[in-house]
Formats: sequence, C-alpha cells, structure tokens
Amino acid sequence: MMGILEVNQLFKHFGNYEVLSGLDMDVPEHSIFGFVGQNGAGKTTTMKIVLGLLKPDSGSVTVCGEKVAYGETKTNRSIGFLPDVPEFYGYMRPLEYLKLCGEITGLTKARTKLKSEELLSLVGLKDEKKKISGFSRGMKQRLGIAQALLNEPKLLICDEPTSALDPIGRKEILDILLAVKGKTTVVFSTHILSDVERVCDRIAVLHKGRLTLHGTLSEIKERHRHNGFILEFGSLEEASLFENAEELRQPAISLSRSGNSVTALVADHNVGGHFLLSVLSQKQIVPLKFAAMEPTLESLFMEAVQ
Amino acid sequence: MRNYTVFLKKEIFEYTKTYKLLIMLMVFAVFGITNPLMAKLLPEILGSLMADSISMSLPEATAFDAWTQFFKNATQMGLIVMTILFSSILSWELSKGTLIIMLTKGLSRTVVILSKYTCMVLVWTTSIALCFGLTYGYTVYLFPGDLTVNLLFSTFCLWLFGVFLLAVLLFAATLTKSNYGCLLITGTAIVVCMLVNIIPATHRYNPISLATDNLGLVTNSIEVSSLYCPILISCLLSLFLVVLSVLIFRKKQL
Repeated sequence: MMGILEVNQLFKHFGNYEVLSGLDMDVPEHSIFGFVGQNGAGKTTTMKIVLGLLKPDSGSVTVCGEKVAYGETKTNRSIGFLPDVPEFYGYMRPLEYLKLCGEITGLTKARTKLKSEELLSLVGLKDEKKKISGFSRGMKQRLGIAQALLNEPKLLICDEPTSALDPIGRKEILDILLAVKGKTTVVFSTHILSDVERVCDRIAVLHKGRLTLHGTLSEIKERHRHNGFILEFGSLEEASLFENAEELRQPAISLSRSGNSVTALVADHNVGGHFLLSVLSQKQIVPLKFAAMEPTLESLFMEAVQ
Repeated sequence: MRNYTVFLKKEIFEYTKTYKLLIMLMVFAVFGITNPLMAKLLPEILGSLMADSISMSLPEATAFDAWTQFFKNATQMGLIVMTILFSSILSWELSKGTLIIMLTKGLSRTVVILSKYTCMVLVWTTSIALCFGLTYGYTVYLFPGDLTVNLLFSTFCLWLFGVFLLAVLLFAATLTKSNYGCLLITGTAIVVCMLVNIIPATHRYNPISLATDNLGLVTNSIEVSSLYCPILISCLLSLFLVVLSVLIFRKKQL
C-alpha cells in the first residue's frame, strides 16, 4: 500500500513548549485514519504543518509522494481541509461559496456546478438557500465537508469535525466520512473515542509530541489483549471459595477480588479460560458471569498517554 | 493570475455586501456636497448670528473656500474613515479563519495581498473621484466665474497620498494579528511623517507634503515642480511596502 501522507521526524516548538518531538506517521491510501490525542497534544499543529500553514523546526512531510513546502505549497491541490470551526464568508449562499472555491482550485464552471450540487445533496444542504451567516454549527460543518471534497482530493483532513456537535449532527458527519471512504483517504483528529471506533480502520495516538500507539484497530486490540477473565458470583461465599482454591495457587495466575466479582489475570498462555472453567466445575460453582477481558479503546488510550 | 481576478471579484463583492463600499461612498458624497455649501453659507450664518450693533465686514465667499473645505475634509476625516474601515483587511479573515480554507484550496498568498491592495485602491479612487466631482459641480454652480488653478494636479497628489497610506496600512496588517495593531502602526507611521516634516529641509522629500500642500497648489503659492520629488518617493515607497508585505505574508505562520 502506498503511503498517501508520510511524516518524518517532525519537530515543532512554540516558545519554550515543545509540541512535536520527532513525530513519525504514515497514512496508507484509502483508509480512515483516526488521529487521537488530548487537547493541546499537537493534533492541529501537525495538520497545519501538513497544509504548509506552519513551519516545522525540522523534519519533513510528503503528500502523495510530493514534499510539502512551507508557505506556498503545491501539495494542497491534492488535499481537502476541514478546520475545527469552519468559517465562511457569511454574506454568501452555499452555492456561491462553492462557486468561489471551484474558481480558485481551477475547476471548470460546468464541473463546479455539477460537483457543488452533488456534494450539497450528499451533505444535506441541497435546498438551503439562505446566507451562510444564518447557518447553525452543524450546517457549517457540513458545508465545510462539501468545500473540502469539491476538488476531489486524494486526502481529506478534518480537524475535530464532530467535537462541537450534538449526537445527531455527529452521526451525520461520521456517515458522510464513511460514505467518501474508498474515493479518498480521510485523516481526522478527535478526542471522542467512540467516533474513532465507529468509523476508523486505523488509529494513532499522539502524546508528548510523538505517536505512542498506532496501527489498525484490531491489530492494536490484539496486541494489547490481556489474558484476563472476569467472574461474577452469586454470593460472597462462592467468590471466596473460588478465590482460595488450591489449584489456582500458581505463579502464572493472579487473582483480585472486589465484592462478588473476581478478576483473574493469566500470564501463561497454556493456562487459559478452560482451566478456570474446570476449576469451577470441580468446585461445583456456577458463576453469574464469566467473561474474557476485552481491551477498550479507552483503556488503551489511557495506557498510551500515561 | 486567473485567481487574482477571482479573488478581486470576491473582495469587491464583499465590500458591497458588508456595506463598506456604501459607507465610503456616502461619507465622501456628503463631503462633496457640503464642501461648497459650507463655504457659501458660513459667512451668512455668521452674519445672522451677529447682533445689529456690531458691524463687521465678512469677506465674500469664493470657490477657493469650497476647495479649502474639500482638501481639509478629504485629508482629515476622509482618510481617517478609510484607515479605520480598512484596518481589518487581513485580521478579520485571519482571526475568523475564512482565509485558511481559501489558502488550502490552492490560492496563492501573493494573490491575496495583491488583490486586497488593488481593491482598497479601487475603493479609494472611486470615493475621491465622487467627492471631487460633486465638489466641482456645486462649486461651478454656486461660485460661477471663480477660477482655480492646479486643481486636478492637487487632487492627484491627495489621491497618491491615499495610495501610499493604503500601502502602509497593508504592510501594517501583515505585521500584526489584530486591527488595532494595524491602526497603531499606520498611525505611528503618519505621525513620524508629520514630525519629520517639522524640519523644513525634509519637506521636499516627505510623502506627507502630498496631503499638506494642496491648498498652496490651488493658490499658486507652491510650485508644482516642488512636489515631483514627494510624488516619486511616495510611488517608490508604496511599491516597496507592497512587495515587502507580499514577502512577509508568504512567510507568515497562520
């Protein structure tokens, strides 16, 4: 797979504060790439450097194999950008605005008209005739996506597209992002983990200026899967009976208990869930719940930013 | 340069839609109409205010008084209104973030600066032309037969000073992030020009002469040729400032 966006050893500081310290990132084509990090982690800074709006202290960025130059960059031709709070010329109407965008990117009149109508219906603003100044935030966000997709970019960069929206607005934006997958690669930054789980196939966690976690979602979960189980019992007696079983007294197994539930972490892969089940059947206990521990994105994120 | 026309059109559209053009034209139209009227009516108003016991002869108003008003209003009020109106030329778009989207669409930063400057000069030119036209018309009507010299040249000097002022403003706008910073720098530049003007020897080279010598030109007390030097210097400085603005803006972190 070709990397559509490659970031190499990026450094950037503002005053004494180092925002990026050797960031490496690789975004393969046709993926939805979730760029996660706390507020102030440097997500927006990274995006602005990719767009040639900020100057990195050192390091390089390539978009579609072409190096990004600070200031006036040609690479922006293949990028569509949606800022976190997109602002437009409020005195224009959606079609007028897209016409201006089309003229600036160099699309023909006919093409602009065709694409504008297509995109406005994709984002649900087709029949919106009022001026942009009267738009709600969700509507502006959707118009933002329309303008970003106007020149059929190979790479769509969205800076926290869902952060300020209500649940319905968020769902709409995520659905649009899913709809354009396949035609374009999407990089979107966010700190809402459920959004990432819904649409992204790859994620990267930015912390202290570098990526502390990255890969496909399933890969990461597999890599961080703890061989652990949670057992919940009907009574305290059963719980303590299980906890104090002779068979479980071995170094590979560690147990912790709180109330009626016992968490068993198993270090040895040969000693799996079936072993615990056999112990249960020996003791003739039927737990209320027996579950394998699945790492949540939240726990992975917490781990990555520690 | 296709984008230059596109963005210039957008700028003009913006000035019409946000009433900035209307404000400029109205202010200058009001000046244009009131200049000769004030000149005509002022002696009569003063005369009617005076008690009968005091007799005082007031000089008859002439076309020259109308042009005095013109050069005073346009240079003082007019240029101030223009500076305030245009002070947010870049800061507004940068702080709102509207320009970012345009830049990521492939709009060159050079084009942004050049089209914005062109638009400002166009608005200024239209305004001063309107004001001049109205003043001229009314003056001919109210003071028939009065002759004035060097009128066009004197107005041209004033126009050129406006162009120079806009170049300073543009340069200031690329240096700062807020419109107050822009106003401060522009104001400081003009004050410096005025202070330097105190030294008589510098008067021949100072761009501000273009806005202070207008009446002298009309009364023929100042030689036309004495302004050639400030004209040249203003042109060169304006050009230099615009080029510098482009260079700075191309390297500005947004």
